[in-house]
Amino acid sequence: MPVKINRRRFFRNTALSTAGIMMGSKLADLSARPAPAPAAHDLMKEVMKYRKIDAHEHVWEDGSNIDAQIDFADRLGIDKLAISRPLTQTTPKDATPEAYKKANDTILNAMKRHPDRYIGMMYVNPLYGKESLEEIDRCIDLGMVGLKVYYQVKINSPLFYPIIEKFIDLKMIILMHAHCGLGVGGQRTKYGNIQPNASIPEDFVEAAQRYPEAMLQYAHTGGGGDWEYACKTMKDYPNIYVDTSGSNNAGHMIDYVLKYLGEDRMLFGTDGSYYQGVGTILASNMNEAQKRKIFFENYNNILKKSGNHVD
Amino acid sequence: MLIDINANIGHWPFRQTVYNTCEALLERMDQSGTDISVVSNMNGIFYKDTQASNEELHSEINSDTRFHDRFLPFAIINPIYGGWKRDLDICTEELGIKGIRLYPKYHDYELTDPACIELVTMARDRGLVIALTLRMDDSRSRSWMDLDYEWKLEDVIPIIKAVPDARYMVLNIANGIDLKDEDTAFFRNSNVVFDTSGRNIYNLSELIGKFGPAMFAFGTHSPLLDDVTGLLRIESLRDSEADADTKALLRSGNARRILGI
Repeated sequence: MPVKINRRRFFRNTALSTAGIMMGSKLADLSARPAPAPAAHDLMKEVMKYRKIDAHEHVWEDGSNIDAQIDFADRLGIDKLAISRPLTQTTPKDATPEAYKKANDTILNAMKRHPDRYIGMMYVNPLYGKESLEEIDRCIDLGMVGLKVYYQVKINSPLFYPIIEKFIDLKMIILMHAHCGLGVGGQRTKYGNIQPNASIPEDFVEAAQRYPEAMLQYAHTGGGGDWEYACKTMKDYPNIYVDTSGSNNAGHMIDYVLKYLGEDRMLFGTDGSYYQGVGTILASNMNEAQKRKIFFENYNNILKKSGNHVD
Repeated sequence: MLIDINANIGHWPFRQTVYNTCEALLERMDQSGTDISVVSNMNGIFYKDTQASNEELHSEINSDTRFHDRFLPFAIINPIYGGWKRDLDICTEELGIKGIRLYPKYHDYELTDPACIELVTMARDRGLVIALTLRMDDSRSRSWMDLDYEWKLEDVIPIIKAVPDARYMVLNIANGIDLKDEDTAFFRNSNVVFDTSGRNIYNLSELIGKFGPAMFAFGTHSPLLDDVTGLLRIESLRDSEADADTKALLRSGNARRILGI
């Protein structure tokens, strides 16, 4: 803050306050003063002005969040939601083919319930390579259009190579859960207690360098990770996209992402934090065309590559 | 009318912030239609002598006549630091503050410390509001130098019980809104408002049903959080969830009641 205390100015101002410029006295009777200058601002008109595709959303195992999710989507003008059912078992091998097939069936059922709203993302575990490739084929046949993965295997692991290559051929995006933090709980081993196979920005960079044709989605800049660190690390890799989902609607975050990654690599997302997902983009300094890109066009252009775009 | 009960100016040492001066904040308020912001100076979280931050805030608000009607200053007082009672007197009598913000975790004391209870009691007697912030920044993305601890909503109950007839604002409710029934009832019967900035305000319609419409007031936690989301929680309420009178309470009525303005 530029203001530094200047004792002479402070006491001059204090004297002025005593003479009647004190804020408390000015605000003592709000009803007696005229309405302030700002014009009325119709926030919801602004919200509804933009079509939206939510690039990061989940359906619970029992599907019990679907009604509330669609209700929030209606409330905030979210046309489509890319949904998945990640497996979060702490032991990577426990995310078995049987478990991820069941998770994918949950998504397929949700897609049937709301075919106009849901975009299906499949889930696999690269520790089970052959079964994962078979499951990808099954899910593609049933209308899914992308992959969601979690922390069973790092994105740059050789175990992932055949899956990334498959998705290059499919021209579909891979959404990988991401971790980035340097304080307590972060990835630096002197502090760390994160899942050992959680993907950090450097892992995304390595995968992006090896597979420049792949489309990799770094999950939730607002999900508690150090978004400044992530953006700086991934700046020079145009095939890494970031979604803006998560509960941390940090001020200035979106403008920071824009500065480092540009307007073509940022995707609107909520990950269940609907107010924050929409609010943080509206609060940014982006112009209307840029907001249209982030809310809708960028993700739709990704879908377009595989012919699954929204009209 | 729209009143933001949770705005800040000043420096946040762990990352760059924008809109953290009265000038910049006023420009944003004009864009969003915010008439008045309750504002505090974050520098006071990090100064040992918090009074310097209160003087800075006063000086800045008095640097431009446009600021006088638009900002309501809250002081930051540390009740375990020398001279704090004199600071409180000066803030009340000369600096025109309407409330105080407490930062026990940053200033290294407990809410139930006798000095804190004495401060809250003195603030009550001066007609000041006491603001308690569950967290300033998200500890998951924090600097290695920042706190790794965040309050839950229930953590502020002891001070409210200790001085029950004071007026309180609980800000940036990031954790613990799903309380035990007895704690929910306690808040409903207390002189408290929650601002709408925190992530735990996950469904304002539901929470109004649980706590009642008198408990919530628009807040942004700007500039550490964006300045739209807190308002979006209110403006996206459907007419069936909040009629015009209820929305007026959320936008400014509850703030005016707790602030006594």
